[in-house]
Amino acid sequence: MTAPDQTAEAVDDRVPVTVLTGFLGSGKTTLLNRILTEQHGLRIAVIENEFGEVGIDDALVLDAEEEIFEMNNGCICCTVRGDLIRILGALMRRREKFDHILIETTGLADPAPVAQTFFMDDEIAAQLRLDAIVTLVDAAHVRQHLDEEKPEGVENEAVEQIAFADRIVLNKTDLVDEATVADVVSRIRAINAGVEIIPAEHARVDLQRVLDVGAFDLDRVLKDDPSFLTETEHQHDTTVTSVGIDLPGELHEDRLNQWLGTLLRTKGADIFRSKGILAIADAPKQYVFQGVHMLLVGEFGRDWSDGEPRGNRLVFIGRNLDRAELERGFAGCLTTAGAAA
Amino acid sequence: MSVTAPDAGLSTVWDVGLDDAPVALSAQGDLVAVAGAEGTCSVLDLATGERTHSVDLPGGALHAALSPDAGHVAATGPTGYALWSRHDGGTTVRETGAWSSVARWADTERVAVGSGRRALVLTTDGEELWATEPAASTVTDLAWMRGGRRLAVAAYGAVRCHERHQTAPVRTYPYLGSHLTLAVAPTGRWICSGNQDASIHIWRTRDAGELTMSGYPEKVARLAFDDTGFWLAADGAPDVTVWDFSGKGPAGTAPRSLRCHESVTALAWRPASGGHLATGGDDGTIALWRATAGRPEARLRPARTLDGDAAVAALAWAGPHLLIGAHRDGRVRAYRLPSRTTL
Repeated sequence: MTAPDQTAEAVDDRVPVTVLTGFLGSGKTTLLNRILTEQHGLRIAVIENEFGEVGIDDALVLDAEEEIFEMNNGCICCTVRGDLIRILGALMRRREKFDHILIETTGLADPAPVAQTFFMDDEIAAQLRLDAIVTLVDAAHVRQHLDEEKPEGVENEAVEQIAFADRIVLNKTDLVDEATVADVVSRIRAINAGVEIIPAEHARVDLQRVLDVGAFDLDRVLKDDPSFLTETEHQHDTTVTSVGIDLPGELHEDRLNQWLGTLLRTKGADIFRSKGILAIADAPKQYVFQGVHMLLVGEFGRDWSDGEPRGNRLVFIGRNLDRAELERGFAGCLTTAGAAA
Repeated sequence: MSVTAPDAGLSTVWDVGLDDAPVALSAQGDLVAVAGAEGTCSVLDLATGERTHSVDLPGGALHAALSPDAGHVAATGPTGYALWSRHDGGTTVRETGAWSSVARWADTERVAVGSGRRALVLTTDGEELWATEPAASTVTDLAWMRGGRRLAVAAYGAVRCHERHQTAPVRTYPYLGSHLTLAVAPTGRWICSGNQDASIHIWRTRDAGELTMSGYPEKVARLAFDDTGFWLAADGAPDVTVWDFSGKGPAGTAPRSLRCHESVTALAWRPASGGHLATGGDDGTIALWRATAGRPEARLRPARTLDGDAAVAALAWAGPHLLIGAHRDGRVRAYRLPSRTTL
């Protein structure tokens, strides 16, 4: 039997888009200017939600004002950014082509509608791919933002931006002592256990670690698998946490669909990000998925190797996650669970 | 008495190349206006395709509209709008910093332009006659109703209708969703919006009775009524759908499906033709259809297709005998269709 993926892998030639989030003063603009001035030879377009701080002659800089649109299809978290759909649409119709697009959000922006835009709008999805959400964190001030008490029903944006991040640039480490850095790192890990944290001074980072990282690429989920499941630390009382589950065995496909479908439908508003690599019974390949709130994309990835133990690893990042319930629900999808019932 | 043999032969009248990638077309009188993505709006002679003027809009262009007498061009773009006068060659450029999605002429003297969350009604010199209050989001489309006395404004959450010189709407048609495009039947009976949520929302103007056509696979970004107001063509799927709005309207009916493109990028009804439609696709194909033939639910095939190298950016008819097609690679062509009944 020949595996169908022996054919040449399709080259994804969509233009990568990096979303830069972070509070005012965290160094987004410094990083942006650094990216634009570095000699990388890339044609970059920048969409700014905060005005007038980037001044580079070579780059195309467009201003945007956040417009969040709900979709009238009953899905409460399927919000998109109307401003980005418009601006990116117009940008892609130009004859000059860009190698990379950067979106700088305001300090108070919710990353979810930004990310969802790249999955919900077909015209955008056909031409652009969300590469990664990069969150700038000010080592000196982030704890006070994280600790800020918000009124009932209002999000703590600093927590959300960390929860959504694929990369965190821990900036201004020169302004704090080592103990503070260590504490901030553990606060970040308590929210987003597996995220890659890049310490920096004056937003000085190796651009390869923040550009073209392919964080939403399912192949990358597979490649990164050793790192995406770090055990959650519990020393902080946060409502936004990561739950990682590592379970040997194979899954019953129908039960998995039922459980995951129900979970995302009922708890999707609280689950910011999810990803996993799963072993489906009778499937020769690993099943990989990635989600933002209720939106989920998945496909079969590489073959399980000979002798490789078949098992399942997944991670949820979200609000008020009940680890025990998630573990129980997921364990119920194992092929062996039916026999026990 | 002379008898002319019917000549069904379609011919290419001219074929020109522009530097800026076309995004919109307008044809009126003896002129064609082509808006380019990077902000060059070219004015072409309809007879020859020769470029006679150009208007530059810093920040790019999204739309261009010739006034009904071909005396003026209004061009709009991501950072403002411009007006060009044929009479004195003068150009007024307004860099407002606000997103101007579209310009629609009420008559030869007045043009409405979207400007951020407001619509402005301007004289041909660019003088502001009146403006609407801000809508809930950036204005996405505009349409004149009642012979230029009422302006329909589409934005997030509602289509609002404004009477002249009234900032507040006289009528609001709410629908939770992002309205991308607006089509008002020439009969004035129907207001339709194509939406980000992959639906068409329809209001009957008489009583604001509503209807939603949902279930499109993609967002509905293009809608067009024919000049009778009986037929509405829509994108939102590989098949163009054509809905019958005669009589009581399309409720409970099925559309005709026009199968040719993978992704529809332009729609234009042939004027005074009895159901001839031109459509464009992202593969560069222009298709000509007898779009109202057959029965409801029929899947139709094009009467003719014309190939292009790059995606169709826009289509416009300059009367019933001349079709203008603009492609993303800058090619703009005029096709003559001598017979009124043959495609």
